[in-house]
Amino acid sequence: MSATLQPDLAERVGMDPSFNPSACMNCGICTAVCPLGLRHLPREVFAYVVLGMEGEVLQHQEEVFSCLLCKLCEVSCPAGVHITENVRALRHYFDRNVFHIEGR
Amino acid sequence: MSERKIGVYVCQCGGNISDYVDVERVRQAVAEDPDVVVARTAMFTCSDATQQEIVDDIKLDDLDGLVVASCSPKLHTFTFRGVARRAGLNPYRYTQVNLREQDSWAHTDDRAGATEKAIRLVRAGIARTRLLEPLDPTVVETVPRALVIGAGIAGLRAAIGLADIGLGVILIEREAEVGGHVRELGTMYPHDRQGQELISELLGEVRRREGIALFTNAELVRKGGTFGNYEVDIRTRGDSNMTRRFEVGSVIVATGFDSYLPEEGEYGYGIPGVLTLPQFKKLVDASEGPLVYGDRPVRSVAYIYCVGSRQGESGPNQYCSRFCCTSAVHTDLELRAKSPRVHQYHLYRDMRTYGRYELLYNDSREKGSAYLKFAPDTPPEVQRRGDGRLEVRVHDQLTSQREVNLEVDLVVLVTGMVPRSNQELIQRLKLPVGRDGFFNEIHPKLRPVETVVDGVAICGSCQFPKTAGESVASGLAAVSWSAAMLKQGRAELDPQVATVDPDLCTFCGACTEACPYGAIGQQDLGGGRQVAVIDPATCKGCGGCAPLCPEHAINVLGYTGREVEAMIESLAAGVA
Ligand SMILES: Cc1cc2nc3c(=O)[nH]c(=O)nc-3n(C[C@H](O)[C@H](O)[C@H](O)COP(=O)(O)OP(=O)(O)OC[C@H]3O[C@@H](n4cnc5c(N)ncnc54)[C@H](O)[C@@H]3O)c2cc1C
Ligand code: SF4
Ligand code: SF4
Repeated sequence: MSATLQPDLAERVGMDPSFNPSACMNCGICTAVCPLGLRHLPREVFAYVVLGMEGEVLQHQEEVFSCLLCKLCEVSCPAGVHITENVRALRHYFDRNVFHIEGR
Repeated sequence: MSERKIGVYVCQCGGNISDYVDVERVRQAVAEDPDVVVARTAMFTCSDATQQEIVDDIKLDDLDGLVVASCSPKLHTFTFRGVARRAGLNPYRYTQVNLREQDSWAHTDDRAGATEKAIRLVRAGIARTRLLEPLDPTVVETVPRALVIGAGIAGLRAAIGLADIGLGVILIEREAEVGGHVRELGTMYPHDRQGQELISELLGEVRRREGIALFTNAELVRKGGTFGNYEVDIRTRGDSNMTRRFEVGSVIVATGFDSYLPEEGEYGYGIPGVLTLPQFKKLVDASEGPLVYGDRPVRSVAYIYCVGSRQGESGPNQYCSRFCCTSAVHTDLELRAKSPRVHQYHLYRDMRTYGRYELLYNDSREKGSAYLKFAPDTPPEVQRRGDGRLEVRVHDQLTSQREVNLEVDLVVLVTGMVPRSNQELIQRLKLPVGRDGFFNEIHPKLRPVETVVDGVAICGSCQFPKTAGESVASGLAAVSWSAAMLKQGRAELDPQVATVDPDLCTFCGACTEACPYGAIGQQDLGGGRQVAVIDPATCKGCGGCAPLCPEHAINVLGYTGREVEAMIESLAAGVA
């Protein structure tokens, strides 16, 4: 199975200038410290956004909304990824594109 | 029996030896041997304090022979020869016995056996030392001029450095133009300066210096003479085919690398739009504004890393080419500055943007380029689609091995460096070539630009893949090495060379053929008598000739037949 890529996805998801999933260097520290033990958020879901794999992003709706925004990962991230801001941007993206809720 | 006064020092090497060998027992065993006047052990014989103790012993007891039983002679022969010299003892009356690499490290499971072996090794050293005669180094005058082969960035910079410390320079370049690969480059990392510009600046500096004679279209066709005073013949092509002869004290080889050329079909190489890194870099350098390839705008690019490097089972090149990760990332940024809307995908194995080049990698990611990681056993596949676009399939290790399908306009094969083919030069200089095909230094840390050929150094990317900055740094190291040797005007050569006893020699010719350095010639003693004669400045003392002589006329000083026999007898004493 292979996915079709949407190269402009990252721009559609993150309208906020602080949105920076591509700064991730894939070290995996965030996954190691996550108190909920989320497996794909943030690192892998961010990678799907950067690559433009929209279908994969949509499949991870549950993880995107279970995140506590506790910032444990963010303070540990060596690459300065604005993890919680990015997760909030992803939630807005779901609001607009899946639940069709407009406005912020 | 000779009357000698020998000092013996058995080293613990801080446990490296004493953990497996009873050094005190070794000391006791040899302390009463004939001719041994002093026998001591030490924690670190090479320490300043112990060296001074040895100097004092030599002076106090008027020692005429020294044995240090410690580590490999490769490490400390010169250290303890220096100790002898400082104490007024001829340095060639010193023997280094290797109790570490050849004993303690090899027999960590057998303390009694290792101790017994140590005693034999030390006794053999004493046996040799008993017979050693004082030797004086051969002194040769050195010519204050260097030959630099290859005028890439390393060779150009080395030539300037040599001239600035007052040495004459012959700089030869095989091509019509100087500059090597850097001449072909536009914007370079880490300084964002133009390669062409750097080279024309360096060439200007070269031209400004009277001490540098630059020859292009030029090659070395012969090297003769002896160390310190080599004769080199340089042939130039072009309107005037001519050969000139120069005398030089040292030779610096800076002949550079070739870019790896993929095979037809390797990652789609041969399909229009599949480019090597040098080809793509040229395209980006030349483009002003949005990138166009074959009349079509380029909207997306996929880079495939490590092509021709780190090949594992799939090819001969096992090494990392080191510059290519950073070059690809830097080219990504250069392209992004010109075409901000291009989507760039990097399919890498490991990112090796080492040191501060990491900042370029960060920058590229932060600006939105995507990085995917593939495993060597599932390399990406490149295909051309019906509509002419390229399709790259890859299993991305960063997204749970998801198969990702990229549709792109260009594929860049991030090709590495390979050794430049230079067979004739290798033969003429007898350059040591490593298993990877690049030239070999004596020791990567202790003697990083010297080769085993006296007076010949290597620098730049002919040694191993290097960036331009690293190539220049090693070029300057070769300058310091030349200066240390040539500024004194004289050099000392190891006197432990082979000599012929003319009374025994019948000039059968067996030795002349065997000598790998061509050190053995013929001498006419008059009355029709011919004998072999060995040039001490050319001989390396390898000993290859000595066992071949049917008349036993050849001895290597410091390892004469008598000395070696005495060592063997002592090693084998009491063994049936
Ligand atoms: C696409 C690409 C991009 C790069 N980008 C960068 C960058 O941005 N920054 C960076 O630091 N590095 C970069 N590099 C690496 C850089 O090119 C090398 O580090 C540099 O060229 C090494 O210089 P050199 O003098 O050792 O060898 P070379 O550049 O190969 O020069 C060797 C010279 O010796 C000559 N020669 C060879 N054999 C003989 C002979 N027998 N007799 C006489 N002359 C001979 C050759 O003709 C040549 O002129 C890049 C390389 C490539 C391929
Ligand atoms: S900690 Fe930061 S850099 Fe590391 S994987 Fe997570 S988001 Fe990426
Ligand atoms: S520098 Fe990077 S691309 Fe080049 S061989 Fe090494 S790992 Fe591969």
